[in-house]
Amino acid sequence: MSDGFEAAAEIARTARRAAEACAGLDAAATARRLGGDGLLGVLAPEAVGGLALPLSVAAPVVAAAEAALLPFPLVEALLGARLLAGRQDDLAAAIVAGEAICTAAPAGALRSEGGRLSGTVGHAPLGTAARWLFAAVDGGGAALLDLHANGVSVVEEPGLELERPLAHVALQDAPAALMLDGAAWTTFQADALLLRAAGALGAAEHCMQRAIAHITDRKQFGRALVSFQGLRFELARHKLALEGARGTLGHALSVAGQDPCGQDVARLVARVTVAEAAPAIVEGAIQLHGGMGFTWDLGLHRHLRRVKAAALALDAVAARGALVERLDQLWAA
Amino acid sequence: MSAAESVAVVGTPDYRTRHRTWLAANLPPHWRADAVDYRPPSLDEAKAWEAELHRQGLWGIAWPREYGGHGLSLREHLIANQEIGRLPMPESQNSIGKELAGPIILAIATEEQKRRYLPAILEMREIWCQGFSEPEAGSDLAGLRTRATRDGAAWRVNGQKVWTSGAHRAQRCLLLARTGSMEARHGGLSLFALRMDQPGVTVRPLRQITGEAEYCEVFFDDALVEPEDALGEPEAGWQAAVRVLEVERGTNRMYRAWRFEQELRHLVTACRNEPALARLLEDGHYRQRIAQVQVDVEVLKRMVEQVVDDLVGGQPIGGRGSLSKQHWSEAHQRFAALALEMVEQASYPPSPEVAAAQRRFRKLYLQARAETIYAGTTQIQLGIIADRILKLPRGA
Ligand SMILES: Cc1cc2nc3c(=O)[nH]c(=O)nc-3n(C[C@H](O)[C@H](O)[C@H](O)COP(=O)(O)OP(=O)(O)OC[C@H]3O[C@@H](n4cnc5c(N)ncnc54)[C@H](O)[C@@H]3O)c2cc1C
Repeated sequence: MSDGFEAAAEIARTARRAAEACAGLDAAATARRLGGDGLLGVLAPEAVGGLALPLSVAAPVVAAAEAALLPFPLVEALLGARLLAGRQDDLAAAIVAGEAICTAAPAGALRSEGGRLSGTVGHAPLGTAARWLFAAVDGGGAALLDLHANGVSVVEEPGLELERPLAHVALQDAPAALMLDGAAWTTFQADALLLRAAGALGAAEHCMQRAIAHITDRKQFGRALVSFQGLRFELARHKLALEGARGTLGHALSVAGQDPCGQDVARLVARVTVAEAAPAIVEGAIQLHGGMGFTWDLGLHRHLRRVKAAALALDAVAARGALVERLDQLWAA
Repeated sequence: MSAAESVAVVGTPDYRTRHRTWLAANLPPHWRADAVDYRPPSLDEAKAWEAELHRQGLWGIAWPREYGGHGLSLREHLIANQEIGRLPMPESQNSIGKELAGPIILAIATEEQKRRYLPAILEMREIWCQGFSEPEAGSDLAGLRTRATRDGAAWRVNGQKVWTSGAHRAQRCLLLARTGSMEARHGGLSLFALRMDQPGVTVRPLRQITGEAEYCEVFFDDALVEPEDALGEPEAGWQAAVRVLEVERGTNRMYRAWRFEQELRHLVTACRNEPALARLLEDGHYRQRIAQVQVDVEVLKRMVEQVVDDLVGGQPIGGRGSLSKQHWSEAHQRFAALALEMVEQASYPPSPEVAAAQRRFRKLYLQARAETIYAGTTQIQLGIIADRILKLPRGA
């Protein structure tokens, strides 16, 4: 029990160090660095070089990566390696080692005809640099695609985020490298949402700390801005929202294994709290920087872009809708 | 029962089931706040009920056995409170004794005092009130003026307290009074366990926005505190008071999240059985707001569990009780407003069930206004979060 706790704390420390060390690296170099530190195999089984740890241990890794704006689809690597282990061990091992980059397309679904895939999917982070793609297939389930195969075209598409530009992928009678069943794909997507939530909170906390540092330094009206109660209260509210969201997310991560479909109260609640708290905190951090907060160079917009995109994916409105449905069932019983 | 035995007992699901079963069988149906024929207990009934709750192991759970407690941990306290919260039971008439005075007595009182005060609290022989706030000292508690002066080995108290909940039924007052100079601010305060039934104490109940008179003005005119009723070291009352308030915010009414959930279920049930209200349950706007209430409840549960984990793990609560206090007080106000808005849309005349819900939520809506005021206002909690949790520099 306490060993597991120690291992988790050690991984969180390693993640923070690695994220710092990755500054300025491109996607491929980032993958190798994270792989070299064992961070990409946190969830994958030992047979493919992973650590086989629970989802909650991956959360601080994603949090550190998002705070540091790493240009790498980390959530997809962590979950992709776990998903491929036992199905395509060589590829899973390559992802764990940081030698292969995979991503996933959360938008759209492909048609499958006679074992070949056609159609368009999109919003795949860093799709143009990745070699492998997970995409939904009509009627449930998903496919793993080799983006270098014939009949596949990958084009950047507009989106909020800068370091991991989204890609749109069009296929014409392309081969599937692997077909995945609906259950495995559903769990992949549900766990991806929780890890994105962890990343959004990591980025939000980072921005809040920067805002605190800024108003501590900055003087107006002859005093440090941090001495103004209005600003202190605002930060206190951010902290309250952050801790509220952190508590529900921690709980959802720790019981995630009991809810592989992502329809239980814990996951839905975490989606709502993080989707609402994280962007508000980053928006607040920009506000607390004043005019400087609006500059491209200060860079808080980079976090905002990621965090807002994650919040849109977490979709508080849909999660609340699903939550009432769930409560209807629970309370009728 | 030895310590080893008690761990074995609570280590099984029986502990929860035993409490759940007993409460379900013994709570008088008309005391349930959701009952059509709701009638709150009289003070004598409430005292007998709470004394029985204690005998059944539902109060004093984590207090040592030598002082009438059950010698278990906060984990069992949490489990029992979850079960208490699941039922719309009457609030304790002595929560100040059990959840404020008790913990502080355990922390700073003498052995003799613990044996004298604590069993009397659990057995409901002594109801306590909390004499902190004064007309001139609310949020700025360190400015309080009620003075205790030496009279031989005893003390004489002069001054006034206000907003003192339950003073009209209390036998004891956990009194924070000035024994040093005004200039000493925090440093000049001491804590006492003052007897309320004496000529020097006058209690005047104040009518509240609900129409009830639960809190009071309390006047001290040479009121006597026997030497054996001084608590802790003189002039160290502030540190003790801060500890009381930390406990109050972090652990008191631990059942709150589960009661909150029960209130939400009552709202939904009441709406389901009435066509005009059932329509609201299908409306996207209300569905979102109901879901948000459950989200707020879940956030609170996690905060409470975290506090329990930390305390059991030996870490002090520090300022963190302010996070949960701030969260529940505002979330509960939002809920009360939603509940009232919904049940008031019932067709007329309301069924007995709907009328019961309207009665409960009208009262709750008004009652909840106090929640962002007592135990430290919203502004005070935000200040604590900024100062002690975020540790923001003062920044001259
Ligand atoms: C139902 C109820 C029960 C109570 N029971 C008890 C009890 O049993 N025993 C007891 O001792 N007390 C009790 N209280 C009193 C309660 O603790 C005080 O009302 C509270 O601490 C606020 O003090 P005050 O009323 O003097 O308001 P004030 O301190 O005068 O505050 C007025 C307003 O100014 C704000 N404010 C004050 N200082 C600041 C600041 N520095 N920065 C920003 N805003 C500020 C406050 O937040 C508030 O909104 C009870 C109160 C209520 C409503």
